[in-house]
Amino acid sequence: MYTKPSATALKRLMKEYKELTVNAPDGITAGPISEDNFFEWEALIMGPDDTPYEGGVFTATITFPHDYPLNPPEMRFTCPMFHPNVYENGVVCISILHPPGDDPNMYESSSERWSPVQSVEKILLSVVSMIAEPNDESGANIDACKVWRDNREEFNRIVRDNVRKTLEL
Amino acid sequence: MENPGLFTAIHRPGDKSPSQVDFVVRTPADLVRIQRQEAAEICNVFGMSMAHATMMLRTMRWNREKLIERYIDDAERVLRDAGIADIETDAARPTVLPLRHQLCEICFSNEPNVPMYALACDHAFCVECYNEYLSHKIQDEGLSARIQCPGTRCPNVVDEPSVEMLAHPVDYVKFQRLLLRSFVDENQVMKWCPAPGCEYAVECHTPQSALDSTVPTVKCRCGHEFCFGCGYANHQPCICNLTQLWLRKCMDDSETSTWISVNTKECSRCRSIIEKNGGCNHMTCRKCSYEFCWVCMGPWAEHGRTWYHCNRYGEQSSQAARDSQEKSRSSLKRYLHYYNRYANHEQSARLDHQLYLKTEKRMESMQQKSDLSWIEVQFLRDAVDTLVECRMTLKWTYALAFYLEPGNLTTLFEDNQCDLEMATEQLSGLLERPLERKSIPALRQQILDKTAYVASRRQILLDDTAEGLADGRWRFNMSLIN
Repeated sequence: MYTKPSATALKRLMKEYKELTVNAPDGITAGPISEDNFFEWEALIMGPDDTPYEGGVFTATITFPHDYPLNPPEMRFTCPMFHPNVYENGVVCISILHPPGDDPNMYESSSERWSPVQSVEKILLSVVSMIAEPNDESGANIDACKVWRDNREEFNRIVRDNVRKTLEL
Repeated sequence: MENPGLFTAIHRPGDKSPSQVDFVVRTPADLVRIQRQEAAEICNVFGMSMAHATMMLRTMRWNREKLIERYIDDAERVLRDAGIADIETDAARPTVLPLRHQLCEICFSNEPNVPMYALACDHAFCVECYNEYLSHKIQDEGLSARIQCPGTRCPNVVDEPSVEMLAHPVDYVKFQRLLLRSFVDENQVMKWCPAPGCEYAVECHTPQSALDSTVPTVKCRCGHEFCFGCGYANHQPCICNLTQLWLRKCMDDSETSTWISVNTKECSRCRSIIEKNGGCNHMTCRKCSYEFCWVCMGPWAEHGRTWYHCNRYGEQSSQAARDSQEKSRSSLKRYLHYYNRYANHEQSARLDHQLYLKTEKRMESMQQKSDLSWIEVQFLRDAVDTLVECRMTLKWTYALAFYLEPGNLTTLFEDNQCDLEMATEQLSGLLERPLERKSIPALRQQILDKTAYVASRRQILLDDTAEGLADGRWRFNMSLIN
């Protein structure tokens, strides 16, 4: 169903963008792909230190619904991302991005899920901590979950290979 | 419902038979009044606002005693569960905050002089953002009683007076409707009447745990009779569990079973089900490679060289093979026996509507052909009502009988069932008799007698089954534990 972008959504996205350009958290950059469309963003995330993702730069798109911030945006990695909580198509599966009403995995209490006071910054910070500490209780990529659980060395090797690929080394 | 003549004679008013339960039909206005009463009781005990009392009752699923007990035990916890930040605030009169310079975390705007609102937890948002937030929660998510404060991880619930003040009137109307719906849905002694378009609810105090020993059948003011336990249309005398099992079985099995029984045979050795869709009578089972004859079911080896032609139907080995096939099919046959009778009554009941129209015509023609008045021909309508009820009851006796362990009690039950069935068919026959001027008085008497008879047979069967359930007398051929 197409709904007209609400004025609130646009106003708020502009505010958030401004805020992020002025003081972005370490290791995170995000903003609209084009100034004509504030509902499609691109984000760059640095792999957190002391993890196999260290040194990598991961690109993702964030797509906002027209009734943002009542409903959460969708975040999708556009680079190879081998991680238990990222689907093979790149979509990030993290509780803060789930709409408050339904809980597909029955794990989360509603307070962990999306609410209008969350923001792009909070999402990106959650994603960074998700990268550092995968949650294998509600995995999105089953293969990654399995390797992460059973063979950490192999997991680290695959991730480091991916990091090298994203950096085109 | 039952023939009044017979019943006033046997039962004193207020008496109920073992197969009946007490219930009350509630209108939406009743429901609002009951909610107010319950909340007012709590207000009287603890001296809090109506809105807060209602919120606490909701978390206790409207169990007043439990709430009082818990509140005395641990008031803080009850308040936390109900999402009430501060019991001292007057929730009945929410007010917009005095203008101040504060950031709204929804629109991220901190323009001065924008009206804002906060619950007792002091998470303030623009009135306009609140309005959009509530609209989203009410219209898109269908929430009512548990809309939380938008603040991060804030467990507080937006109370009804606040919603009334902040939400658009259209959203508020839906909010109230959802609240009313949740009142009945959460209340263990209430159920909505499932009839399409019916707005009434039924209150009945039969607990869910008693459903193995009773069939709480209630009748809504709209005329729809249904089971309070499972919400399905009246299925007396069969208990809810068996009803669900039976319906599921019929949905999965009946068509398939009939087809299997008509079109297939089983391999005499491995019992694989085989459909013969062409070719000769020399069958080779795909599964176990057993070779047999389709006609006599005996082993093919004994057929010698008489290919394509079986003259061995009477031979001992063929007979044995057929007998064993017979046995394995008997459970299927047993099921079809009950199913066909069940389906037959269901089919007849589906023709109700036509029967009523036909009866209407007959009542007119009876008036023309005799000197009976309109009131005096009403007995025909009563007879049809009774007939339809009996068919519904009979239908479910077959579902129940399918699950009964054979024994003396079951034999008695089947005798009762048989009696009722015979009398019902006789009544049905009487209703079809052609109307002739001189036989009308006699026919009227016969129909009146038969109607009274089947109504009493039906009641006897229902009461006997109900008593049996209450005493745990029936033995079922399967475990009732799901």
